[in-house]
Amino acid sequence: MTLSTLSDWTGEVGTVTIGALKADGGTRSTTVTIGGERDLSFIGSPPTGHRPLIAFELCDDPSLWPAPVTKFLGDRASDPAEWARWAGQEYAPDLIRLFLTSTRRRGFSDFASVTTTVENVLQATGLPLIIEGSNDPELDSEVFRRIGEAGEGERLLIGTAEAARYRSIAASAMAYGHLVIAQSPIDINLAKQLNILLREIGLPHDRIVIDPYTGALGYGFEYSYSVMERIRYAALKGDEDLAMPMISSAIDSLTVKEVREADPSGIEKISVAWELYAMLPATIAGASIVCVRHPSTILPLRAGIDAFWPAPSGGGGA
Amino acid sequence: MALKALDIYKLLPKKNCKECGEPTCLTFAMKLASGKVKPEDCPYLDEKAREILGASTRPPVQRVKVGVGERSFAIGEEIVQFRHEKTFFHEPGIMTAVSDRMDADTIQAIVADVRDHLLVRIGLDLRLNGIAIRSESGAPAAFAAAVEAVEAVADLPEVLLAEDPAVQEAGLAVCGNYRPLIHAATRDQYREMCALAVKYGCPLAIRAPTLDALADLSGLCTAAGAGHLVLDLTSPSLHETLNSAVAVRQHAITRTTPALGYPVFIDTRPSGLPDAALICGVLKFGSILVTDAISDESRKAFLVLRQNIYTDPQKPIQITPGIYRVGSPGPDAPVLLTVNFSLTYFTLQGYLEASGVDSFMLIVDTEGLSVLTSVAAGKLSETLVRDALKEFGVPDLVDHRKLIIPGYAAPLSGKIEDETGWKVLVGPRDAADIAEFLEKEWP
Repeated sequence: MTLSTLSDWTGEVGTVTIGALKADGGTRSTTVTIGGERDLSFIGSPPTGHRPLIAFELCDDPSLWPAPVTKFLGDRASDPAEWARWAGQEYAPDLIRLFLTSTRRRGFSDFASVTTTVENVLQATGLPLIIEGSNDPELDSEVFRRIGEAGEGERLLIGTAEAARYRSIAASAMAYGHLVIAQSPIDINLAKQLNILLREIGLPHDRIVIDPYTGALGYGFEYSYSVMERIRYAALKGDEDLAMPMISSAIDSLTVKEVREADPSGIEKISVAWELYAMLPATIAGASIVCVRHPSTILPLRAGIDAFWPAPSGGGGA
Repeated sequence: MALKALDIYKLLPKKNCKECGEPTCLTFAMKLASGKVKPEDCPYLDEKAREILGASTRPPVQRVKVGVGERSFAIGEEIVQFRHEKTFFHEPGIMTAVSDRMDADTIQAIVADVRDHLLVRIGLDLRLNGIAIRSESGAPAAFAAAVEAVEAVADLPEVLLAEDPAVQEAGLAVCGNYRPLIHAATRDQYREMCALAVKYGCPLAIRAPTLDALADLSGLCTAAGAGHLVLDLTSPSLHETLNSAVAVRQHAITRTTPALGYPVFIDTRPSGLPDAALICGVLKFGSILVTDAISDESRKAFLVLRQNIYTDPQKPIQITPGIYRVGSPGPDAPVLLTVNFSLTYFTLQGYLEASGVDSFMLIVDTEGLSVLTSVAAGKLSETLVRDALKEFGVPDLVDHRKLIIPGYAAPLSGKIEDETGWKVLVGPRDAADIAEFLEKEWP
């Protein structure tokens, strides 16, 4: 008798590869592959899928970024390319996630800056990139066209598609060979519906990453945790419309009251704790990419992931 | 396998005598099925039915109580693997470790901190639970002295970490009457440890190199009279701990291996990563988590994560309806309407505080539903808003008659205006945009 986990899963999470090397038409120095689980992600020796990865988030308009990070960064925050280069070199995240926050200012019209910023960041780092564009239907078409074009061949992961506005993003992904983040508001049925909509307009499942929306620790995180578990559960039970890898980012982590009101001497530690205690649990719930904004979170998060997924993992590793 | 309520009902006397405290036998059957009452609560149950029900309604993860008095706590009685399937019932107890190599002052400072630390969140008190005393010197006298030092400061639940039965007994001689958890019986000394557990009436943690060996040891210990067991799944590899914790929960709730139907113990020290080990323990079925002292920040995040994970997914935490102040609002301050779902309340409150605009929050009773859901379900209505304005005396608080409503409640704006006579301003859908909205729209 050997007691082990009792699993009767039949489904499998699909795999998604982000980034393209020179040989494949891109300029990335590495690519990453996520997904492939045939059980809960941390189960098995080795586990069945690829290990969870860490994306470091930055932006092109730091006035819309959490103060604990911009203070920590100093002048670097004014140049996304330098921000990306420095973070990649010093903290070794697996991916860089660039938010084009400038497009979210009222009256934004400097579309040429989208192209320049994406090109500069692509030049500054060899890591695979996630690019977050506008969130205004009036701007989406032009912003996503420019993101797609500037990154043509790089196999970017671009976001964020929602049920009410996904066409411009999907169109750009299909035209320029990119991947799409599909976000739904903490609801398994809406997540499934959006994946079906995307499939129906021609975006295959292996180019979608699910973002179930993640509330910050203490601010709805439990809903996100459970919806991720449910989405993963559905995929392992065989629902192919939910069998994509997931990305989780508790984007409000560094603006919650606990962090805002912390004593300045403890601000870095509480920032790290609030990101770590949401993102490491997200990996257990099934997220394949977890995102942080404070550089100091990367090291303890990496240590936690390494402890949960002893390297090298199965399915070919990261 | 667990019986369904109707199967249980067939075995009951069907007298509806109410002597068990339930209105009908059917209600009793339903509660029995979910483990909320015991077969013994029915005075007219025949012997055979009692036997059948006793075996099949015993919680798949046995209840174990640690400590005595106000801070004592129960663990076990869990019935699901995923919280969305129902809920997790008993939060893990976090036990801060001290060592018998520490001097008494150091020990007492740690114990006092555990005793006094309190984090109040969403109206609930979040606390650390107890003290774990490590035998590191190997000397019975030093261990007893450390236990005495702990006892001198507080009557908190304790874990006695001493595998040498002589050392363990020295500790029990000091605090054995207060239901400490004895840690740990192994294959080599389980007879002595079980005898101690029986003598003092204490729960007993057991440890073995594999799950098979653990199940065997569990059987040996119950046969030796120690019925309140806790399974130590600590490994230097958190991957191993996660995998064995999931296996234990699956074997327990499916009743595949009843010998593993006990709560789980995890010591965070061997992993060298206390934060990751605490996260592993709180998510994947730890019930007793021993940790050396951690930073204030980790402690706060841990307590909030534990609260999040152990919140019943079917009962959203609610805020008492009423008028709440952000800053020191005067008669010209904006009044913002929202629902009494705690998450909505705290999110809006957070962004209002960040905006620096003094304001009133009018919280109405939507039974804990979010804005979107309560509008769809008709729980948020113009009459509810009208009554709340009146009930909470809002017209006396402000000298204007303007009400800001959530963006998702926009379909109600006209009806609210008609019903209340107040001018309605439709606010943003996302609370994050409230500062910008107020700057633009509020004079």
